[in-house]
Amino acid sequence: MSGPLLGPARRMFELALGEMLWGRRAVFMGLAAGAPILLAVVARLTLAGGSAVLVVNGSRIDSEAMFGTAVSLLYLRFIVPALGVFYGTSLIAEEIEEKTITYLFVRPMARGAIVLGKYLAYLVCVVAVVLPSAALVFVIMVPFASIGPLFGTVLRDLGVMALGLATYGALFLWAGVSFKRPLVGGLIFVFGWESVALVLPGYVRRLTIAYYLQPTVPGVATLLAVAIIALFLAMQTIERREYVLEQ
Amino acid sequence: MIIAADHLSKWYGHVSGLNDVTVSLPEGITGLLGPNGAGKSTFMKLVTGQLRPSAGSVRVFGEPIWGNPAQYRRLGFCPEHDAFYDHMTGVEWVAALARLHGMDDDAAAAAAKRALEAVDLLDVGHRKIGSYSKGMRQRVKLAQAIAHDPQLLILDEPLSGMDPLMRRRTIRLIKEWASAGKSIVVSSHILHEIEAMTANIVLMHNGRVVAEGDVHQIRALIDEHPHRVWIRAQDPQAVARTLLARLEPSRGVADDVASVRFEEGAVVVETPKPDAFYARLTEIAASGEAGLIEEVTSPDDNLQAVFTYLVKP
Repeated sequence: MSGPLLGPARRMFELALGEMLWGRRAVFMGLAAGAPILLAVVARLTLAGGSAVLVVNGSRIDSEAMFGTAVSLLYLRFIVPALGVFYGTSLIAEEIEEKTITYLFVRPMARGAIVLGKYLAYLVCVVAVVLPSAALVFVIMVPFASIGPLFGTVLRDLGVMALGLATYGALFLWAGVSFKRPLVGGLIFVFGWESVALVLPGYVRRLTIAYYLQPTVPGVATLLAVAIIALFLAMQTIERREYVLEQ
Repeated sequence: MIIAADHLSKWYGHVSGLNDVTVSLPEGITGLLGPNGAGKSTFMKLVTGQLRPSAGSVRVFGEPIWGNPAQYRRLGFCPEHDAFYDHMTGVEWVAALARLHGMDDDAAAAAAKRALEAVDLLDVGHRKIGSYSKGMRQRVKLAQAIAHDPQLLILDEPLSGMDPLMRRRTIRLIKEWASAGKSIVVSSHILHEIEAMTANIVLMHNGRVVAEGDVHQIRALIDEHPHRVWIRAQDPQAVARTLLARLEPSRGVADDVASVRFEEGAVVVETPKPDAFYARLTEIAASGEAGLIEEVTSPDDNLQAVFTYLVKP
């Protein structure tokens, strides 16, 4: 990596933070955060009306269990990886596609600083949207009396979501600086490979991010390691690779 | 020498973009002239460290540029492509890029305003770039290249899409920068544009440098070929009428229009005397007698004909 990193990365972070809210994927982020809240409101109103929202084998599922399902199926298996794929792959690839990367490459800073600044902007942005969304869903769905006892569990869930966003984002950022059409591959990995591998017997499931996000698996160290290594590789790749912008 | 290329080559897969170029560019203004596909943009991308040489080397201020970001403190680049963060205003965009040079907010804002003022865009600096005309977008690109006061400017087709008045203004600006001690490499496929800025020309064709220096012979050759000019205007008929009216012998005006034809929203003129024609067109645009002239371009087949002649065995 050539030149100082942190100062330029901070300046890049500030520029990228504004960009995050303007990209065409900003609408997707709004939907990803807003849809679960809407669903939670509907569930809450249905429960208040005395109807069961979810019944399994004749037993009515309570709101705490429904929140757990929302976290594991909606957030960790859909929203978190989807945001990681859409934003991670686009952070650099979109600048290349739109040829605005030129303006960043001719500045006196290591290219790695561009990657680091953009990644941090992504992380701040998605964490600031997804975590409050999940917290709000919790408050809406869980009865007031249960909020206290479940608070620790919710904090753990939010931490896992943040870690998932960090890991998926870094992994697909690396894909975005390495491949020309990273989005399709990313979607196949997340919604194809991860779905299949998780139900396969043996150790194959360990080759997914989703496995380490499960509450029964102690995966914090693995997820952190994957995030840091992927980010480092993305920074190394952009330093060495040349990007030919088509005329 | 500001820039020194030594047996510099660049291949895109099996396609050659630049082929064994050895050239040294001195201080002052150097014009890179050549038709589309000549290798001008590839050369500029190598000089600005965006591409890595496939063979040979390029040095800027005596140092390599690839993987050497410190060099960008002394270098400003205006790319050819029309790419922006369209939702930002001119001031925001130029200031944001100036901040990447290490300036604090106040210094970057001041630098952005100075740069926009230099290119006559300060009055629309608060508008979003997405609402700018083609000429304004060209100028805001120039502004981001000069905001950090670089020693060397690399300008890829900077006059493309500008109206005649802004073209003249920008040429004057480039010459002023050179007078202030800056070095400038500017590319174009229009000899008359380059000639208005400098006599020091590097001619490129098919990825090679075919001639360099003060090229009067090339100029003579180009004058032998009719030069086509595409003029987009609010009222193309009025522009044609004004140009042709001046041809009447009774008015004693030089015969600088060989033919005229119309395309959608534009008039295409063939001229045997480009210098005289461009001067007259600028006057017409300034006077407003033929309405608003929005854009003037010249297709590169003018040059292509000359290069075909030059390189034939």
